Amino acid sequence: MIRVTDLVKCHGPARILDGATLTAAPGQLTALVGPSGGGKSTLLRCVNGLEQFQSGTVEAFGHTLTGGQPPTQPALQKLRRAVGMVFQQFHLFPHLTALENVMSGPVHALGKPKAEAEQTAKRLLARVGLADKAGARPANLSGGQQQRVAIARALAVEPSAILFDEPTSALDPQMVGEVLAVMRDLAADGQTMIVVSHDVDFARSAAVVHKMVAGKVVQSGPPDAVL
Amino acid sequence: MVRATLPLCALLLLALPALAQEKKPPFRWGTDPTGGAPFIYQNADGQYVGFEVELAEYLAAKLGRESVMVDGTWANLPQQLNKAADVEKGVDVILNGYELRKDLVEQFGVSRAYYAYRVALVSRKDGGVSGWNDLSGKSVGALGGTVAHDYVRSHHPDADIQLSEDVANVFKLVNDKRMAATVQDSPAAVHFLKEYPDLTLAGEPVKAGYYVIYFRKADAELGAALDAAIADGLRDGTFRRIYDKYGLWNADQEELIGLLDKPWPPQLEGNKTPWPRLLGELLRAAWMTVKLSCASFPLAMLLGLAVAVGRVYGPRWVGVPCGVYVEVIRGTPLLLQLYALFYMLPVFVQTVSPDLAAWFTPFACGVLGLAINYSAYEAENYRAGLQAIPKGQTEAALALGMSKWTVIRRVVLPQAVRIVIPPVTNDFIALFKDTSVCSAILITELTRKYNELYNFNRDLIVELVVITAGLYLLMSYPLALVARWLEKRLSKS
Ligand SMILES: Nc1ncnc2c1ncn2[C@@H]1O[C@H](COP(=O)(O)OP(=O)(O)O)[C@@H](O)[C@H]1O
Ligand SMILES: [Mg+2]
Repeated sequence: MIRVTDLVKCHGPARILDGATLTAAPGQLTALVGPSGGGKSTLLRCVNGLEQFQSGTVEAFGHTLTGGQPPTQPALQKLRRAVGMVFQQFHLFPHLTALENVMSGPVHALGKPKAEAEQTAKRLLARVGLADKAGARPANLSGGQQQRVAIARALAVEPSAILFDEPTSALDPQMVGEVLAVMRDLAADGQTMIVVSHDVDFARSAAVVHKMVAGKVVQSGPPDAVL
Repeated sequence: MVRATLPLCALLLLALPALAQEKKPPFRWGTDPTGGAPFIYQNADGQYVGFEVELAEYLAAKLGRESVMVDGTWANLPQQLNKAADVEKGVDVILNGYELRKDLVEQFGVSRAYYAYRVALVSRKDGGVSGWNDLSGKSVGALGGTVAHDYVRSHHPDADIQLSEDVANVFKLVNDKRMAATVQDSPAAVHFLKEYPDLTLAGEPVKAGYYVIYFRKADAELGAALDAAIADGLRDGTFRRIYDKYGLWNADQEELIGLLDKPWPPQLEGNKTPWPRLLGELLRAAWMTVKLSCASFPLAMLLGLAVAVGRVYGPRWVGVPCGVYVEVIRGTPLLLQLYALFYMLPVFVQTVSPDLAAWFTPFACGVLGLAINYSAYEAENYRAGLQAIPKGQTEAALALGMSKWTVIRRVVLPQAVRIVIPPVTNDFIALFKDTSVCSAILITELTRKYNELYNFNRDLIVELVVITAGLYLLMSYPLALVARWLEKRLSKS
């Protein structure tokens, strides 16, 4: 369960999040929609601890962040192992192969043995349809392939939930489908996900849709009611 | 008009010789004023004094010319005779403890001896070195390129000779127990034994040769006048009066008077270094250059990395000192840093622990000094590299649950290293050449060795320059190749 309560985040005089409140139930696909500049990315980053906020709380799987109180490093690490993130720009590590990218979390964040991490990574690459690209460097992969590796990388640390920030917005149209297919597959498997998406079709497959405008969640409910 | 000026011109022409007779050109004598007491040094009022200053003034008076001191660096003084006398830094003679040497006599006019010197071995009263036969493996300081230096090298080849250009420093090092002994010309020994009561002569000083004045071969007339003045000065007691002031008059100088009736200069033995030995010495010095570079640069990289990481990622109380470190080290000369490490720091350390001070050997200080100096530049390279890695990389790694340090180590640094390889290898090549500054702290590396060999082999200057430059190239070019290969390999991946 992820519960965001009355989140307030300011940049100088600008209130980027202005009392945003939402919940995401475990095992469900939660969609976050709304006009650009509404604060969706900022909200996800707050949930992941990449941004700090002035007031409100974020609770995720037993970990809590409180506005105005800088979290400790170990607390942040624990939270992030529970809540993974997939970025619009993929941010794969360019000096590592696809396989090594996927292994990096288990090895360097969880301290798993290399052999075990490699097994997991191979399985996950196969799951996103890239078993044959294990040895490729990010520079030699298409955008769609890179984003699928990024998803496998997020899955590798076995997070309770994954946050997706416009995962297909940076892709050429013909590659959007392959990434969304992987995400649908995850959702069908009962992976808890919060997805920021402009893709109406995809948002329709969510259990709950939240609409954000000007730093507030203005509407929450089933897709038919919100979209 | 023409008619009117002609008589005037004639008048002027007639007057010229008379004018010239009235106003002789000054007597410009070349010296290295940093050479030290008792030859030439500054007294408390900042005036130059010393027995050679008084000698020059006596000679100038005898010649009826005004005495003008022209400063230069000791090893290069003879070169100043190759220029005209009346240009900037031009000289009529050089007068600065220059020995009677075959290579110089072949090139320049030479006066009669004005002083007979010995080479003296000076050590501490409480141990160190007990005599000339006790030099094996001991550190022995000497002025590079002097007869004293050549004497130790040829008579005591297993001594660890450390060369300096600063006599005062060497005596201080012996006094501070950081050097076992020093071999110096007797005048310097006499002077510094007065200054350092803990020092003493170790063994009898050895008769070595004569100080003479060199002038241009073409100036035979000047030479004759100088010889006459020297003969007068020796015979009428002027020299004795001057030398007595500095405690320098002795039986050896009495003998100079007897020599005045004999032909001059006497038959001299050459001290030319044979080629195989020249090459061997250059190669050994080049090896020192390699050792200095290869020991100091990895240290500089490590230190620079730590400073850069502290500056970019550390809290303020780490970042600010790191920034200050970079600016202070970058903003001061390497030479000064080496001096501070080798001459200044051990003085403080000695008050705490004399054993610890013994660690500050020339080589250790050279490596440390180069490492510290270059660490500031490497820190800036790394900082640029670290800051060039997009923020998204850090965030993606953090989002996986890695700790801040793991992110730096596993994600940011490996990418930054690729960016900084070209500037870092560039610095390595620069450091290779900067090792020559270490000659200031008694290390004989390639440039110092070149200087020393050139001192004794002034006819081989072209060959020595070409070989020395070739050795530097031979060392740095492979480095450039490795750098290019690394760059290529990393850009592929
Ligand atoms: N670092 C920042 N400094 C100032 N304003 C920011 C910063 N980051 C985001 N913003 C502003 O916050 C608002 C919300 O941004 P964002 O969360 O990216 O919205 P969305 O993802 O819904 O498009 C935007 O108006 C943006 O300009
Ligand atoms: Mg956004």
